[in-house]
Amino acid sequence: MDIIVCLKQVVDPELPQTEFAIEPATGRQVREGRPLVISTYDENALEVALQLKDRGGGKVTVLTLGPQAVISDAFRLALAMGADEMVVVDDPRGPDRLGGEKAAILAAAIRRIGRFDLVLTGCESADWTERVVAPVLAEALSAACVTFVSRVEAADGTLMVRRMADEGFHRVEVRLPAVLSVASDESNRPRLPKLKDILAAKRKPVHVWPVADMPAAPGDLAAGVEVREVVIPQRTTRCEFLEGESAEQAAALAQRLRDLKLL
Amino acid sequence: MAPTREVFWNIPRLGVVIMYLLAFAAVAVCGYGVYQHYRTWRRGKPASRLTPVGPRLRAVVVHVLAHGRLLADRVAGIYHAALFWGFVFLFAGTLVVFVHQDLGLRIMQGPFYLYFQSAALDLMGLAAAVGVAAALVVRYGLGSPRLRRGILSDALVLWLFEGILVTGFLVEGLRIAGTRDPWGPWSPVGYGISGLIDAAAISEATIRLGHAGLWWLHFLLAMVFIAYIPFSKLFHLVLAPANVYLQPLVNPAAPGRIDFDKAERFGAAALGDLTWKDLFDLDVCTECGRCTAVCPATATGKPLSPMHVILDLREEMKRTGTGAAPGRVLAGDVIAPEALWACTTCMACMEACPVFIEHVPKIVEMRRHLVMEVAQMPDTMEDALRSLEARTHPFRGAGISRAAWAEGLAVKKLPRGDRAEWLLWVGCAAALHERNHATLRALVRVLDAAGMDVAILGDEETCTGDPARQMGNEYLFQTFARQNIETLDRYGVRKIVTLCPHCYNTFRHAYPELGGHYEVWHHTQVLARLVDEGRLALTGSAAATITFHDPCYLGRHNGEYDAPRHILQALPGARTREMAQSRQKSFCCGAGGGLYWMEDRTGQRINHVRTDHAVATGAEIVATACPFCTLMLEDGVKARGTSIRPMDVAELLERSLRGEHH
Ligand code: SF4
Ligand code: SF4
Repeated sequence: MDIIVCLKQVVDPELPQTEFAIEPATGRQVREGRPLVISTYDENALEVALQLKDRGGGKVTVLTLGPQAVISDAFRLALAMGADEMVVVDDPRGPDRLGGEKAAILAAAIRRIGRFDLVLTGCESADWTERVVAPVLAEALSAACVTFVSRVEAADGTLMVRRMADEGFHRVEVRLPAVLSVASDESNRPRLPKLKDILAAKRKPVHVWPVADMPAAPGDLAAGVEVREVVIPQRTTRCEFLEGESAEQAAALAQRLRDLKLL
Repeated sequence: MAPTREVFWNIPRLGVVIMYLLAFAAVAVCGYGVYQHYRTWRRGKPASRLTPVGPRLRAVVVHVLAHGRLLADRVAGIYHAALFWGFVFLFAGTLVVFVHQDLGLRIMQGPFYLYFQSAALDLMGLAAAVGVAAALVVRYGLGSPRLRRGILSDALVLWLFEGILVTGFLVEGLRIAGTRDPWGPWSPVGYGISGLIDAAAISEATIRLGHAGLWWLHFLLAMVFIAYIPFSKLFHLVLAPANVYLQPLVNPAAPGRIDFDKAERFGAAALGDLTWKDLFDLDVCTECGRCTAVCPATATGKPLSPMHVILDLREEMKRTGTGAAPGRVLAGDVIAPEALWACTTCMACMEACPVFIEHVPKIVEMRRHLVMEVAQMPDTMEDALRSLEARTHPFRGAGISRAAWAEGLAVKKLPRGDRAEWLLWVGCAAALHERNHATLRALVRVLDAAGMDVAILGDEETCTGDPARQMGNEYLFQTFARQNIETLDRYGVRKIVTLCPHCYNTFRHAYPELGGHYEVWHHTQVLARLVDEGRLALTGSAAATITFHDPCYLGRHNGEYDAPRHILQALPGARTREMAQSRQKSFCCGAGGGLYWMEDRTGQRINHVRTDHAVATGAEIVATACPFCTLMLEDGVKARGTSIRPMDVAELLERSLRGEHH
């Protein structure tokens, strides 16, 4: 099975809130001086792809979109984990594009890669959490789509997947080609690469394609969405003292909680 | 007639011939056994341990002849010394007989015969007999927690000793009685026995018969002893002094170097991946249990016992011999990975081992195999390594600034173009943990008050790579080291003062191998010097009772026990108290060896136990000199709900500088 895994580079989501900043003029997130990592669930997607390859063979290509200068080094990790090659769509504006727009570019890149049976993405990015890349990609590639997949098993020609649901999970059979968005699961904790794979990853092919070379997708899937403002929510706490004797306080408390619909 | 005695009294010529044949056979068996061991040691990789001769011989004098480390356990040390010196004298006596009889150099006569060969030997033999008896009583009578009973060869060896000594005295007594030896009183024990024989009015024929029988028994036991040496614990008679000589003179905990351009295997998968010295170590172990008795992992119920690491490896070495039998994977089949991951690399075991066995490098070599070859390690440690790669520090969730602590202080920063005589290497555990910001600020104020010219690297500092190294990822360590060396060289850094003993150890011992040569000081060493030179006006009262927790990487790893104590003693009004386990015997805080990042779920937490030790002194403050120790003790204090306060010595010093009262 030939699998393409889309990886997004994000500002370290583990940074404390205080390190999160937005440029007021442009509304873009400040990335400078902050560690850049592979978005959390994308690593789970990569692990799922590698496990499918371990079991059934095939090829795993990782695909990413962003400024090539900052990407390629950090993403060697994906090659060290076991991906066969990497395609970087060099796009200085990459980090600031919305999901739909990105999906359109990724779809063009995937068409250029050519052969694929399966495309995996993380179920949501650690920064924007739009959750649109997988469905839009599937639409653009005319492939089946399942989101929030926790486990995947190949069953000749099709896939049996487990989709997370509010309570429990769905078991879904999917035909190929398909686009799946992957959620984390104990079965897909990203593997630690062995040193020999880290060393070998230095010799694996990395293709850099300028974003300008990506033919625009037929029909603009991203149209109609525009970011108008980005703000950091201000969290405030308020403290209220209830007056009176204990019994009165208790009654007042019950009333307040009922008003707040907490009781 | 000059005082002497007939060597083979009562032994016929034929007997003497048989004796020589048997002696030859015993020596041959012994030689064969040694050769077999030698072949297994040769499976190991090279290591150079023969030079420099001077300090190595000095170590032999201190730890073999003077029993330095053995005496750390008073009782065991004393009885061991008695039997050791007893046997040394008796062996020398045997050599005298050999020279006198077989080489024909008549030395065994005159005053030398009386003072040495008779009196001294007799008394030393008695000391040995008492020593052996004490060893038997401690082991089988009283029972010692660290010694295992039921080791057949231990019992055999001790009874063999006792048998040789007792038969020797009896033979001597019978000879004195049988020959009416005029010099008999010079051998008090034998003379005493001969007196009993006289009193019992035993016939001369019986004396001769008894003497012959016991003489042969004594001789045969001695030959069994010689032949048995390489096959039993007796081997340590030869190997232990050798191992003292071969000990690592500097940086004893360091695992071997790896040249990643050449290496094909990383870490120790099999015995052959260890050095010959590592394999030699395995045969030296006497199973005395001192290492396990002091191991903080063992003490808190973790699945690690350093002695068993050695013994299990030895078992594997015995099983595979010279390598004909297929070897098993060390980390996994021979030693449980959980044991390897429980080690804090605190060096307590190595410091306690009387025969200088090196546990820690072996453990790290096996970890290297797990991490770099198999890619398996505890999840939380793995997260720390991933963080190191992604964020240049192992603390997930920490902020991005490494100089936040310095806000409002006029600290020079090299990247800004400032220049200074000293670089203060802050270290991740201090830069990225708010608790240690106070320590850093205090340190900088003290250095400033003493007029020291210090700068920091600010955000250009990264981890030294030490956590990766201790966890077994030498590759990642070297990546960091090379990058840091490049940064330091770019700014022309020559003198470094570190807050963290782990950084200190790494700069001091690991960076030079990779081309980074600096003058490295730990902050307590610099502060002690400033105190000594009177460059600090310690005016404020620091009245408090303080106990000091020795960080492993400052104390046992680098031999610095005095500098921090020196500072504490200089604090006006401070009273210091030692914990029961301090200095060389200090008990780890639990953070070393990358275990800061390990979820310590089995048994008790090491830092909680160490906190109890500090509380037991009744001190109000537990002083530390390591940002990791501070964090671990803060956590221990919280968990135990006690009021003792962990503080770095720099903080204490600064308070008395400012004249603040506690
Ligand atoms: S270094 Fe410390 S933790 Fe490790 S085995 Fe030795 S005593 Fe135990
Ligand atoms: S390793 Fe050393 S301390 Fe431990 S049991 Fe063996 S001889 Fe004793």
